[in-house]
Amino acid sequence: MVVDSVAAVKSAKSYVAAPRRGPVTRILENEGWFAFFLLLPTAVLLGLFMAYPFIEGVLLALSDAKVGVPGNFVGLQNFAVLLNDSIFRIAVWNTVLYTAVTTVFKLALGLWLALLLNRHFRGKAVTRAFVLLPFIIPTVLSTFAWKWMFDPTFSVINWTLFHLGIIRTRINWLSDPGLALVSVIIVNIWRGVPFYAISLLAGLQTINPELAEAAAIDGARPWQRFRYITWPLLLPVTMVVVLFSVIQTFADFQLVYVLTGGGPANATQLFATYAYQIGVGTGLLGQGAAISLAMFPVLLVVVVVQLLYIRRVEIH
Amino acid sequence: MARISRRKLLKLSGGGAVAARTGGIASILALKQAPAYAQGTTVHWLRWNDFVPASDQVLRNAIIPDCAKALGIKLNIEMINGNDIQARTTSAIQSGTGPDVICALNNWPQLYPESVVDVSDVADEIGKAQGGFYEESRVVANDGKKWIAVPWCVLGAQLAYRKSWFAEIGYDAPKFPQTWEEYREAGKKLKAKGRPLGQAVSHSFGDPPTYAYPYLWSWGGKEVEADGKTVVLNSKATVDSVNFAVGFWKDAYDDGGLAWDDSSNNRAFLAGTISSTLNGASIYIEAKRKPEVYLTETGTPLWKDILHAPLPKGVAGQFGYHLPMSNMLMKYVKDPKAGKEFLRWITSKPVYQTWFDSQQGYSVGATTIWEQDKLWEKDPVMLPFRTAARAGRFPGYAGPADRHAAEVLSKYIVVDMTAKAIQGMPVQDAVKWAHDEVAGIHAA
Amino acid sequence: MIEGARWRRWIFFNLPLTLFVIGLLFPFYWMVVTTVRPDAELYRPWMAPNYTPFWTLHPTLDHIRYLLDETLFSRWMLNTFFISVLATAISLFCGLLAGYALSRLKFPFAGSLGTGIFITYLVPQTLLFIPLADVIRNFRLGDTPWALILTYPTFLIPFCTWLLMGYFKAIPRELEECARIDGATRWQAMVYIVFPVAVPGILSAGIFAFTLSWNEFIYALVFLSSPEQKTVSVGITSELVRGDVFYWGSLMAGALLGSVPVALIYSFFVEYYVAGITGSVKG
Repeated sequence: MVVDSVAAVKSAKSYVAAPRRGPVTRILENEGWFAFFLLLPTAVLLGLFMAYPFIEGVLLALSDAKVGVPGNFVGLQNFAVLLNDSIFRIAVWNTVLYTAVTTVFKLALGLWLALLLNRHFRGKAVTRAFVLLPFIIPTVLSTFAWKWMFDPTFSVINWTLFHLGIIRTRINWLSDPGLALVSVIIVNIWRGVPFYAISLLAGLQTINPELAEAAAIDGARPWQRFRYITWPLLLPVTMVVVLFSVIQTFADFQLVYVLTGGGPANATQLFATYAYQIGVGTGLLGQGAAISLAMFPVLLVVVVVQLLYIRRVEIH
Repeated sequence: MARISRRKLLKLSGGGAVAARTGGIASILALKQAPAYAQGTTVHWLRWNDFVPASDQVLRNAIIPDCAKALGIKLNIEMINGNDIQARTTSAIQSGTGPDVICALNNWPQLYPESVVDVSDVADEIGKAQGGFYEESRVVANDGKKWIAVPWCVLGAQLAYRKSWFAEIGYDAPKFPQTWEEYREAGKKLKAKGRPLGQAVSHSFGDPPTYAYPYLWSWGGKEVEADGKTVVLNSKATVDSVNFAVGFWKDAYDDGGLAWDDSSNNRAFLAGTISSTLNGASIYIEAKRKPEVYLTETGTPLWKDILHAPLPKGVAGQFGYHLPMSNMLMKYVKDPKAGKEFLRWITSKPVYQTWFDSQQGYSVGATTIWEQDKLWEKDPVMLPFRTAARAGRFPGYAGPADRHAAEVLSKYIVVDMTAKAIQGMPVQDAVKWAHDEVAGIHAA
Repeated sequence: MIEGARWRRWIFFNLPLTLFVIGLLFPFYWMVVTTVRPDAELYRPWMAPNYTPFWTLHPTLDHIRYLLDETLFSRWMLNTFFISVLATAISLFCGLLAGYALSRLKFPFAGSLGTGIFITYLVPQTLLFIPLADVIRNFRLGDTPWALILTYPTFLIPFCTWLLMGYFKAIPRELEECARIDGATRWQAMVYIVFPVAVPGILSAGIFAFTLSWNEFIYALVFLSSPEQKTVSVGITSELVRGDVFYWGSLMAGALLGSVPVALIYSFFVEYYVAGITGSVKG
């Protein structure tokens, strides 16, 4: 209450202290209750729209349910089946490779682009916005454009490479099993770089430029300034961005669904596309749910490692 | 809300409904007035957006008002991409709400037998009136005891080929390679001239399986015995067929096909880069629809240089697999009467006729009566489609077209068997892989 | 700023930036060309001598006209916009509060709650959409925009929360403590001190939430059925991909018209948060 009157006297410009503190304010002053109220909307929404479907999904994975048939509890049988499923093994390997490769490229290129965009140059605003386009265009539609660009008969990429003298015959981007995965990876990187760049750019913006200026005056080289000032400060944001990107990439569906449908001969089959193929395409809901859920442990390992890392970074 | 009023009013309006039941379409037409369905009675029909835009126009502009007039039902037609129908069906069944009637492709009705209404009365009536259903339509829409969907149509698949290019290598129309060996030799010559054959061997629901399965059958290969349990894919016939396919691919095919989807061969053919490809009539119809857009290398309209032929013969015969479509009436619909009346009405000859005409032969009808339609007299190029469905079989042969067959189909195992071999896997291994996968599915 | 000679600026700045812009925008340019390309040219193979990938001599507006006249494109745009704005607003609101609580307050189970919210993000949509259809039916939301407005936050909130937690953590505690000593309530300190400093973070979370809603496909496909309720990506794939024939020109026109307005809006925001932040950090 003493503080209250002091505040009233000082009455800072940006906020006006409540003249009298009601019971609501008092409860909100309790850290625990305050947190409770802040978390309430989230809890309600997630509880209503997430909890039930999630539990239902887990139960599905433990049953032999088919579309329109509730099915019986079968324990871990669906998962046991997966262990002997050759297509599933391919899907696991593809997903891991796909996620790892795209994440490395997206982070490296995205960071580079963010550093470039953090400078002052003419047309900065327009460039920053338009660089986001690959991320804005609905995935399904931009993937159609890529499909057209990769099409063996019409490929503009082949035309360009041919006229630059790099290739002599056409490249079958999506037909060759190895190249098909490469193609899918290229499209994913193309879509993902703007996301990284703009998130990291926002992170860069919160770093006080005076820090870097001070270091520059002390004679630090650009690389050193990046390594010892920018990068550590950027790390928390970077980790979160990577974390979400990894999860999204791991569960990627639309891109492959449109571009290759998992072909040729499952060369681009991912967890999500395979789960969809089994659950929806074949009606084996239990099995499909099990494939979806099988992502969980793998993701969890990745996530826990990253979360631990984030914590460690924060302590330092 | 619509459903409550519909049920209520159906009770009150026994007259019209009974007439419709006993006399079918004839009696409705005879009544010359709408059976007294409630104004608000709606039937929501989910189907794919047709390749032939004119057909969708017919549905919207003619069928919907006619339906209101004849049945008093407000028809609500929703058209989506064929690939996405299963996602909608699944969630509709699981949540117990959604479209009243869903037009299924392939043997999807066999995936949802527990969730659809028995429509035997309608299907039997239509079949009897229209000369019976094709075998292929029957196996996908009948579970052995009852009809779980009313067959709607069969999309014929034939080889579309370039008349002049085949003439150059000695096949003057109507002569066309009759066996796989002849077709391969022809393809070899054509590929040498930069005009390969084209075929998708990839993960796409249309073209790849409609080629891979009949090809396998014509060599005598099959997935299972008639008991539907004994998997016999790994046979000499299958190994021979895959062996031949590998050399055939290198000799004669455009090697981009491993990644093609259902639309790629249309584009390649229309662009003039392939000489022959298995497809529905869409290539020809599209070329004819825009004669100034699609031209041959000499500048003449492309459609005049297109002919159709069935897939070649193998040692075991000549087969086809044509995409069947059938309408499922969903069980979650509280009162299926209106839906049934709608199916009876739309599949009846006079109503179906308008739609059939708009298809220009892309769809060949699910009953044999349509073979005699005068539509086929209009354009001799479309003639091979007329009886195409007769040689049709469905995946899962010689077993039933059940869930197992559907799983093999949706996992593209038979397609991938060939694709793997083409990509360099030893033929024996590819066949063994496919056999094991099929056996695994049938064991589950 | 890059110090030193002019060529250094070229090598280290102009060149890479140009390459980035070309690489990222080429497919976009490709869509522009495809949109105005007449059908006759679309079906030219790349080996053809008259294949002109980068331009067309006979530009046409037919594809755009078809898109606008023959489909409900403008309606779909409105729907998508409405849904995305509301879903983003809800998610930002929840995410801001939750992110603040989880990153700056001490209370029991803070860590596990954060992880809990996070875990929900791990659940793949391909698993969720089937049981979720049940929930939608129970709330009678089927075929209304609310089916999406209320379900999109399920994957947006975890994202917003965690992204904002990252930004909140970077804000020095002293800032807030000063305000509290000055007599601000917790709520005031949060709203008037912490949030303004986090504006760039909020904006970028908003941008991404909006984009994710804009892009979403499966829920929109499954929960909506009337043509006039659909969103851009579902509407376009339903109308312009017919069996084995694609309406390439109109498809690309739809992709373009469906994203350029958003890019323009973003260009305003991006500029704003860049300007806004320099003030708030120094202040």
